[in-house]
Amino acid sequence: MTITPQHGPAISVSGFRMNFGNRTVIEDLTFDVQRGETFGFLGSNGSGKTTTLRALLGIYRATSGTLHVDGKPFTPENGGKLGYLPEERGLYKKEPVLDVMVYFGQLKGLSRQAARVWSLAYLERVELADKSGTRLDRLSGGQQQKIQLGVTIMSDPELLILDEPTKGFDPVNRRLLMDIIDEQKAGGATIVMVTHQMEEVERLCDRVLLLKDGKAEAYGTVSEVQARYGTRTATVVFTGTLPEDPSYAVLQFRHGDARSESGADLALTEDADGAELLRHLIGRGLQVSSFTTSRTSLEDIFLRIYGAGSQTLEGAL
Amino acid sequence: MAHHNLHTVVRFEFLRTLKKKSFWVSTLIVPVVVGIVFGLVSFSGNSASKSVSAQENAAVTFSYLDESGLISDKLGQDSGGTPVTDRQVAIDAVRAGASEAFIYVPQSPARTAIQVYGKDLGLFESAKYSAVATRMIAVAVKDKVNSPELTALAAGKVSFTQTMFKDGKVSGGIFAVIPPLLFLGLFYLVILFLGNQILNSTVEEKENRVTEMILTTLNPTTLIIGKILAILATGAVQMLTVGVPAAVGFVLLRGHAGIPDISLAALVPEPSAMIVGALLLTGGFILFSAALVAIGSVMPTAKDANGMFGTIVIMMFVPLYAVPLILSDPGSRVVQIFTYFPFSAPVTAMLRNGLGSLSGIEATIVITELFILGAAAIAVAVKLFRHGSIQYTSKVRLRTALSRR
Ligand SMILES: Nc1ncnc2c1ncn2[C@@H]1O[C@H](COP(=O)(O)OP(=O)(O)OP(=O)(O)O)[C@@H](O)[C@H]1O
Ligand SMILES: [Mg+2]
Repeated sequence: MTITPQHGPAISVSGFRMNFGNRTVIEDLTFDVQRGETFGFLGSNGSGKTTTLRALLGIYRATSGTLHVDGKPFTPENGGKLGYLPEERGLYKKEPVLDVMVYFGQLKGLSRQAARVWSLAYLERVELADKSGTRLDRLSGGQQQKIQLGVTIMSDPELLILDEPTKGFDPVNRRLLMDIIDEQKAGGATIVMVTHQMEEVERLCDRVLLLKDGKAEAYGTVSEVQARYGTRTATVVFTGTLPEDPSYAVLQFRHGDARSESGADLALTEDADGAELLRHLIGRGLQVSSFTTSRTSLEDIFLRIYGAGSQTLEGAL
Repeated sequence: MAHHNLHTVVRFEFLRTLKKKSFWVSTLIVPVVVGIVFGLVSFSGNSASKSVSAQENAAVTFSYLDESGLISDKLGQDSGGTPVTDRQVAIDAVRAGASEAFIYVPQSPARTAIQVYGKDLGLFESAKYSAVATRMIAVAVKDKVNSPELTALAAGKVSFTQTMFKDGKVSGGIFAVIPPLLFLGLFYLVILFLGNQILNSTVEEKENRVTEMILTTLNPTTLIIGKILAILATGAVQMLTVGVPAAVGFVLLRGHAGIPDISLAALVPEPSAMIVGALLLTGGFILFSAALVAIGSVMPTAKDANGMFGTIVIMMFVPLYAVPLILSDPGSRVVQIFTYFPFSAPVTAMLRNGLGSLSGIEATIVITELFILGAAAIAVAVKLFRHGSIQYTSKVRLRTALSRR
């Protein structure tokens, strides 16, 4: 057993390039995942997320570049404690649930007895205790997902790599999954997750990477990405004349008339402070009846980057 | 860690096969069917031999015409016969149903057939007329020769013992050839019966989409070797299930009802030939099972893979076409090629080893070759598995897979 270095990033990828035949899927990708952080690996369908994870875990061979887990290429022997939930789900379908769980537990280094105890407790928790002797293919899709998740988090992995973990879960089980991820996170695990649910990302992730055209389109903390791609906006309803100020730009303006007040959507600069701006406006003699600030959601940013909005984004920058 | 995993894999794969009903059905179906067929045959065999001996003693009335002068009047009478003088009249009488049977003994029964005419009593019963004729001739000969010993010899009842020498020592003859050839039989059995299981087992991770979980959890070499060991273990279970009742049956029924009374003590295993045989079997098995794993790894489903199994089987049987040559001219170029070409080597070398025409040097070369190629083939097979199993739906291009690490 090699001793895993406790410093340096959990994952480091640099200059990663991946071709399939003469098609380039990943052109040049560089990023790190720090120990203990929850990292959102995002991108549109077919942008190469799964490919990157597979290359990282040695399932695919990178065309070029280095992909390290704990400072070296991943192999099952030196990879430390990995919990990987592949996009392509599957377990030995014709075997009973408990047998399969215990088998994987043992392969991950647990004793048979420990694997059994852990599995039974997990089945109890996910309300599948009565299915321990049932063949996997007799379970519903979501139930199979729960078993697969159980196998993934067995033996307390230090690194969790989850490729679309919520796929196929109903809202109740999605909540259960979020709880489980939270626990793993609280236990100190490093988590990399691929997901298309942006609210999950906002809720769970410390940092994100958005993959586009084979490169990192955005990379940083959630608020850094929001700051760069989104805007903080202030919506003001007032009577009077809106003064000019370097701390904002007017996005939209509605002139008031005899019956209604004027309204404006203001794009704030990154260092602008909402409360200060409000004081400033009032100080300039504006009669403000409503003032709200908001951030662009990740979902909107995603839509702007990948959707029809990506052109306007180009224009905006 | 790796060792621990190997044990875990073997145990999991072995137990889950044993837990399957289909395994036991397919294992037990052969002995059960063989038992039933055997029972039926020995039952009808008993009744057939009973009816034959009944015929020999049955009192038959018949007419006969003896032109050889072998049958005395007394013998004819004692047998229940009435002498006649006109052959055609006697035949017509039988045809008309007036007489039961007529036996015509020609002047020289050794050269011309004895003719028997009789009323049709069905396949078995009708044989009694010939039986009577045979018995009459036998008695007549005995009377003429007047020596039971000469009669027996004349009937070809001779037994031999045979001793042959090889390198100044008594050689075991056929009994020395059989034991090393058992390895060849075992090789065919193992590949034919277990080959398909190796293929299916290799495709299984792919079919169940469990490859990614497996490849990130354990070394594929451990998985493949574990699977092969587990299949060997289930094969052993199958052999015991079939073999133990068969052996018990053989011991209990030996000498009865048409079961040959072979004494195993007569077999003389020659240690060096046995060791060479065992090594050839092991090397051949490694090479062939690695080839099967490789095929399983590049094929998307078990169905596609099974098509390729035929090719492997053909490669195993091709050397048998050369058997006449192996027997008559082991040094010929064709036999040499068959001896060293990897996929015909195990069968050819095991045959020659049994027949005693495989020299020590040749044996060493072939065994070394099989083990080295076997190990290399496993390495290639694992590589193909590694990169092939992730192609869930399409075949792997050999060049692409091998160019990867
Ligand atoms: N084994 C392969 N052979 C050829 N092309 C492949 C292979 N695997 C992936 N690709 C291609 O690489 C591109 C990226 O695929 P990948 O599965 O990584 O996308 P993804 O970002 O995970 O998408 P999704 O969000 O839909 O899961 C796709 O265009 C796909 O067709
Ligand atoms: Mg994907």
